[in-house]
Amino acid sequence: MNDGDVDVFLALVERHRIYMYNLALRLTGNEQDAKDVVQESMLNAFRHFHRFEGRADLRTWLHRILINSALDHRRSLRRRPDAHHSQPLADVADTAASNSPDPERLVASADWRRLVSATMEAMSPLERVTFALRHFEGKSIAEIAQAAGIGHNAVKQHIFRAVRKLRLALDAQWISR
Amino acid sequence: MDQPVSHLKDDDLVLHYYGEAGPEMVTTARHLEGCAECARAYEALARTLGAVKPPEFVEVPDDTQAIRQLLRREVRTHSWLTEPRAIAIAWLVPLLYPWALPAFFASAQLAGEQVPAIALTVLALLWACAGPVVALAALHGTVDRFDRVLTRLRVLGALMATVSPPLFILIARGGERLPAWYGAIAVTAVVALVPWPNVSGATGRLQFVHRFSAAVLGLFILGHIINQSLAFVSVPSYAGMRSGMRLATQQSISYVVILAAVAIQIVTGATMALRNVRAEAVARNLQAVSGWYLAVFLFAHVFAAFFLARPAGAPPVATSLVPPYLLTSVRTTAQLPYYLLGVTAFLVHVGVYARLAALAYLAESSVRRLSYVATLAGAMVVATVGLSLCGVHIFG
Repeated sequence: MNDGDVDVFLALVERHRIYMYNLALRLTGNEQDAKDVVQESMLNAFRHFHRFEGRADLRTWLHRILINSALDHRRSLRRRPDAHHSQPLADVADTAASNSPDPERLVASADWRRLVSATMEAMSPLERVTFALRHFEGKSIAEIAQAAGIGHNAVKQHIFRAVRKLRLALDAQWISR
Repeated sequence: MDQPVSHLKDDDLVLHYYGEAGPEMVTTARHLEGCAECARAYEALARTLGAVKPPEFVEVPDDTQAIRQLLRREVRTHSWLTEPRAIAIAWLVPLLYPWALPAFFASAQLAGEQVPAIALTVLALLWACAGPVVALAALHGTVDRFDRVLTRLRVLGALMATVSPPLFILIARGGERLPAWYGAIAVTAVVALVPWPNVSGATGRLQFVHRFSAAVLGLFILGHIINQSLAFVSVPSYAGMRSGMRLATQQSISYVVILAAVAIQIVTGATMALRNVRAEAVARNLQAVSGWYLAVFLFAHVFAAFFLARPAGAPPVATSLVPPYLLTSVRTTAQLPYYLLGVTAFLVHVGVYARLAALAYLAESSVRRLSYVATLAGAMVVATVGLSLCGVHIFG
């Protein structure tokens, strides 16, 4: 590989960069992590690009690499608890409950988004990524299983656990009204 | 009398919400129409999930320059394990394997006289056991493009590196060790040069049969591993368990069951495994490599006696109630890496499957912690078996 290969690779993946960044944003929840995940995905894709040879759709291939990079990134963040200084979940929930008097305004509020974000931050990497792919991206359980390299049942269980965590944190907000 | 009402579970509601309930979709919808309690639960779920919105799209930062620099740095510090090197290293393992055994035996003899030579013995043992590790490294960058000669050379090199210890023992039983060994390597290399037929991967039924026979065989292998570990602690306990196991396995019905299970394992495993390697998929490659080893190991261990004569001077391991001591000659020394890697391959093969299965029931962090504990326990078992095979027993 040489610098010319770098230019060829970047020219080919350029039109998928926006898609990759937005997918990474949905999987990680914040801009800095999304940027890191895209860079890691690009590096991984470049390392194995000579074996891609156009057999599959480039976007599908990049999609799979990005999901695995996002999982690795989340795992490395969890091994370094100081990497994110997010507000404790209980504090975010209290703020959301006290600031928005009715359900419609609550859902539209920044406090609600922070509460959702903090709840997803507390999920395990697989819970977060499988839930985001199903809920935000509309990917089927079979597609997620294939992309993440885990079993069909494992994907279901991670999604169930993610939904339970979300309901535990969010349902109380409706009840308090 | 009223029928007891069976309500839908939360997980069923989640599947229904995402349209993933499959054939139950219509039944669930009908139930929700007729059951107010479930309808309320579903409404609450839908309200919460409906209010979970994705992060808003933001302007994508133009970090092309940063990525370009990152990739150029990668080009400059590119991994030394290029495809030709990976192929060469994988094939070097079987080519050099016959020389690892005399080196191990000679260093073990020297260690009996000079303690510092223990380091040489450990190094020689690592050399003899290096095959599966080299195979995993060689497979790390493999893809499923078996139409390429280089991919086939890489996978078959990894296969030969992995199975060198049991295959060498198998070939050595027939006499003419070195010519037969290098002949087998040459034949395998030729297989890489011809195109392979397209074989469909593991079907569900094949996997079921493989797992069922593995469960039967696993009990038998586990018994042997526990027995051999027991030899490290106490020779009389080993002999007691050994005679009990022999009584059980020499019943014609259990003998036939074991032979059938081994045959099914080898056939189903061979159908699934050779193409079941993929770049960066460490767990999948571990499963494939340990499966390759187990297939040849079990074949050598169980079936070889049917068509190959036992070599002169080889200890009658299967019938003795005394723990085997393998450091008596070069020929018996060859059995040490063979058994150690056999135990390791069994534990890894079962462990990787158990880990993937556990992910369906436990949180990822719990599975990771359990994996660490299991790895530590497995390493201790292998070390214990190794020490007992080298004649180390706490209570002789």
